Amino acid sequence: MKSYVVRRSILDGFTFAFLIASLAVWIINPTDEQALNMKLNVALFFAAFIVGTFVSHVLTKMKVTTLGEALFQPPYKKSVVSVSWYKTFSAWHLIVLLVGLIIVSIIKTKFSIYELLNEDGFNGAMRLFKGIFSPNFAILPKAILNIIETIFMAFLATALAIPFAFVLSFVSAKNIMTGTTGFWIYLAMRTLFNVMRSIEALVWAIIFSVWVGIGPFAGMLALMIHSIASLAKQYSEMVETVSEGPIEGVQSCGANKLQTIWYAIVPQVVLPYVSFTVYRWDINVRMATIIGLVGGGGIGTLLVQYQGQAMWPEVGTIIVVIAIVVWAMDQASAYIREALK
Amino acid sequence: MSVKPILSIKNLQKTYPNGVQALKGVSFDVKKGEFLVVIGLSGSGKSTMLRCINRLNEPTAGEMVFNDGKVEKDLVKLEKATDIKWLRQNVGMIFQHFNLIPRHSVLSNVLMGKLSKTSTLKSLFGIFSDEDIAEAMKYLKLVGIAEKAHIRADQLSGGQQQRVAIARALTQNPQILLADEPVASLDPATCHVVMDYLRKVNQELGITIICNLHFLSLVRQYATRVVALKGGELVYEGDPKSIDDAWFEKIYGAGAKEVHIN
Repeated sequence: MKSYVVRRSILDGFTFAFLIASLAVWIINPTDEQALNMKLNVALFFAAFIVGTFVSHVLTKMKVTTLGEALFQPPYKKSVVSVSWYKTFSAWHLIVLLVGLIIVSIIKTKFSIYELLNEDGFNGAMRLFKGIFSPNFAILPKAILNIIETIFMAFLATALAIPFAFVLSFVSAKNIMTGTTGFWIYLAMRTLFNVMRSIEALVWAIIFSVWVGIGPFAGMLALMIHSIASLAKQYSEMVETVSEGPIEGVQSCGANKLQTIWYAIVPQVVLPYVSFTVYRWDINVRMATIIGLVGGGGIGTLLVQYQGQAMWPEVGTIIVVIAIVVWAMDQASAYIREALK
Repeated sequence: MSVKPILSIKNLQKTYPNGVQALKGVSFDVKKGEFLVVIGLSGSGKSTMLRCINRLNEPTAGEMVFNDGKVEKDLVKLEKATDIKWLRQNVGMIFQHFNLIPRHSVLSNVLMGKLSKTSTLKSLFGIFSDEDIAEAMKYLKLVGIAEKAHIRADQLSGGQQQRVAIARALTQNPQILLADEPVASLDPATCHVVMDYLRKVNQELGITIICNLHFLSLVRQYATRVVALKGGELVYEGDPKSIDDAWFEKIYGAGAKEVHIN
């Protein structure tokens, strides 16, 4: 089956099942027990999904353009006849879907204008802001020592990630991993990187704080894992865009694979690599702050300590320190990357 | 007894994965020490053929027997990495777009010619023997560009870059030099400079040259023999001086006009 048909069916089937499910919940108003009955609910949802794909198929056969068809149909099938949007099925399909999504999400997030404008809550927030905007600079030395820890945590994580990412970037570049075995290695590496990156650094920090104990070391390891995956992916994308000329030139001299990579590919990618790495350090400083919140050490840990005791002026100081460092890192990395172009 | 040709190509075929049949069975001999020029339209299979000889492209069928008087090998049958390395030591190549490493110095580029004879570990640290460096400088002198040895390759003009590429190929000490449209991206004046150096390499060092060219006036001036390809087949083989208008039309199609470059 053509892949666009699969995509269309999944999208149309899913939107259909979503609308049916939402309507059903609204009409039946199930109890908690009914809502937690996963097997039955999944079966019902799946049945609705199948009906939806069938409806999508029938509509498409009747030349009615569903949202999935409008989105995924190949260019050669796109009609040039322009009809006003409100006369098309796909537009109404999209509108009904969006309205449904907004209604369900408002209910699910317990959205409440009343709570937002509630006087007690509002006054509490004002107290907090007042504290934050009158920072207590007595703890400044402590905050500086902690942010230094954070910066070096981020630096070590980036530095340790470089050699791994450098080597991995070549085994995960399509133009180097040729042949059948090469393709499978390429696919396996890319999948691994995606999995590693899709697990948040925060989750890695929790894993490592159990492994090596709470503190900056756990935070550093978490950032390193995340950096390896991100850098390797960015590096390998650079490797895939190198020009063929120097590669052939070096190959025609009888160079082996390693020599070809070193002399024809590395000189072409080294500047972008440095640029990505500087940027990664910058990102890691910001992430290290967040990781500190779950016990990854550094300024984040200090922040969460004061926040737990509602010491807002101290929190204010820390926020100022973080803001200055992040701004400075951001500027510095931008200038360095500009110069490396 | 007649001397065996240094390269004897028989029924060479190349079909690309997308089904394009670039070479439909080409056969000809290359004599030792000659300046053989290959002519033909773009897409006639000239480039594919040269790239098959040093196996940058994989031939689909046929044979290419290399014989320098000491070794006799069918280049199509080479499979092991060491055999391919041996082939490329003996067959150097220069390209239309020079294919130098832009960020490296001229000398470093020329030393690439010694990669196949340098251990991987040494080459990763950029360690080349004094003899290799002396040899690289010798060939840079030969192409008249030794004073630029420590300048970055991308700072040179096109003609100078092509001369560096010639020096790089010579540093391999090849017996055959393949030249794929070596002057197609150069201006007419520079064109002659580069062609003159190729002739010097051919006559002084005795290296056999197989060169793809576009301009017939250059062919008449430099070639000792010509083969012509059309649609992946050999349509002419012989003396460059005997290409007359009739042959020209046969190679380039009726209505084509010769462009002169002086």
